[in-house]
Amino acid sequence: MLLVLCESDDQAALWAGEGLLDRGLPVELVTADDLAQAVRWKHRLGSAGTASEVVLGDGRVLDSTGVTGTLNRLVTTPPWQLAAASEVDREYAAQEVFSLWLSWLWSLPGPMLNRPTPQGLSGCWRHDSEWAVLAAQAGLRTPTYQMTSSEPNGRQLVPDGELDEERVATSFVVGRRVVAGPQQAGIAEGCRRLATASRTALLGVDLIEHQLGGWTFLQASPTPELRLGGDAILDALAAELRAP
Amino acid sequence: MILLCGIPSEPPLAMVRAELERLEAPYVVLSQRRAAEARMSFEVRAGRVTGVLELDGSTWPLEFFDGVYTRLMDDRLLPELKGLPDGSAAATHSRQLHETLTRWCEISPARVVNRAEPMGSNMSKPFQAQLIARHGLIVPETIVTSDPEAVRSFAAQHGDLVYKSISGVRSIVRQLEAADLARLEDVRWCPVQFQELVRGQDVRVHTIGAEVFATAIVSDAVDYRYAHREGGDAKLEETDLDPALSQRCVDLAASLGLAFAGIDLRVTPDGRVYCFEVNPSPAFSYYESHTGQPIANAVARHLCGMAASGSL
Repeated sequence: MLLVLCESDDQAALWAGEGLLDRGLPVELVTADDLAQAVRWKHRLGSAGTASEVVLGDGRVLDSTGVTGTLNRLVTTPPWQLAAASEVDREYAAQEVFSLWLSWLWSLPGPMLNRPTPQGLSGCWRHDSEWAVLAAQAGLRTPTYQMTSSEPNGRQLVPDGELDEERVATSFVVGRRVVAGPQQAGIAEGCRRLATASRTALLGVDLIEHQLGGWTFLQASPTPELRLGGDAILDALAAELRAP
Repeated sequence: MILLCGIPSEPPLAMVRAELERLEAPYVVLSQRRAAEARMSFEVRAGRVTGVLELDGSTWPLEFFDGVYTRLMDDRLLPELKGLPDGSAAATHSRQLHETLTRWCEISPARVVNRAEPMGSNMSKPFQAQLIARHGLIVPETIVTSDPEAVRSFAAQHGDLVYKSISGVRSIVRQLEAADLARLEDVRWCPVQFQELVRGQDVRVHTIGAEVFATAIVSDAVDYRYAHREGGDAKLEETDLDPALSQRCVDLAASLGLAFAGIDLRVTPDGRVYCFEVNPSPAFSYYESHTGQPIANAVARHLCGMAASGSL
């Protein structure tokens, strides 16, 4: 069973699930709402390792021993799940559920794109300032980033002035593969190094083209818009998720 | 130059500050109680981080700081902000200052004790337990479940149980008693973590880089930290660890990215060593004040780059 975990409205994940199914993978689509409505959780760990069983509201059983891989696009636990909790307990309950999902995801066997972290269920959500440092260390050209206690948000100084969506391209790193994106020398290797440094196996890297040529790092995401990668990214995902 | 961040009177921060003075190491205190008077900004240009901290009429280049010790409390709970509406100028400035400080700490080349990202492992105890188990330390048999029958079955297999939060919130350990069994159906509302009750000697291990301070705790309470609240007592004394176990603790903290950690062990009568959790922001003052172990001194030396340790 190849789990595809996502929010109910994550069109990119639903598209990827269909594409993986077309490529012969035994896809089991499970949404965050499905998990929130699970009627039974059993998550064990100890001397024998880990084992889990989640019984969903529709009767499906997610037995960890049957999981061969996971495309994980979960972002958060649904807030509606805790609507009935008293206000004083709601934040605590939300932390409890997040902590369980984090541990459960981490325990699942097989390749996972992406593995959960405490900073994000589908990979580490990093601040723009961290990406700016990591991207520069990976060899990508980066814009200057500024942050001050006098303003609510940090600022990225985009090259050539205003951000023009027409000049933005996305490279996808899937394991060691780099799919789509600018063909300029060094970009693919820089994106690969960035994924390694950020410990993010599936990473979308947005770059912006200068008016005079060349590309600059703009932002990166562990849950990129996969549809921009077309068949090539589906092939890469299938290969990575089939790996032993 | 060392930057200390938090509430100056809080014991761990105060003790590290005292040790810095003893070492004659220059330091600056960024008091959360005086957030309104502080300004901070930084810039990342081609991967290099620069910036300034304005405090008490002085301007400190952030590149001057070689070490940072953070003991930040939730800034929303600062007494100075009590009663102020959300979105007030003071609350907004405080939030932005703390956000800027936290973000800078994550990318600063200084020795930061500890950065926010590695501290995250402690927010899910079963997640952290899986990381701990990789280091050859035994973790208690555990089940997180919303199924009352699974709890009964687990109890039948492992005997006496304790229960505690899955996350780092409301983290108090309690033994599962008959009265709890009577309300076991409640777990259907929210999964709960149950563990086998491991009997033995509690040992708190503080690691700072490669330095190790072990404290044995004698207590009849299930959770010795709250022994007094439950009418019990806890006696603390310095102890020595087996060198291999000591190294395992150092390796565990390093693998979690923690320059400073408080590791909770329990040693059973037959010598098995269980690890319950790794605290990423240990309130070491409780242990140092009972034993005299020079933990604050080790933290201060680490911040100054004087420790015999690695370079986290």
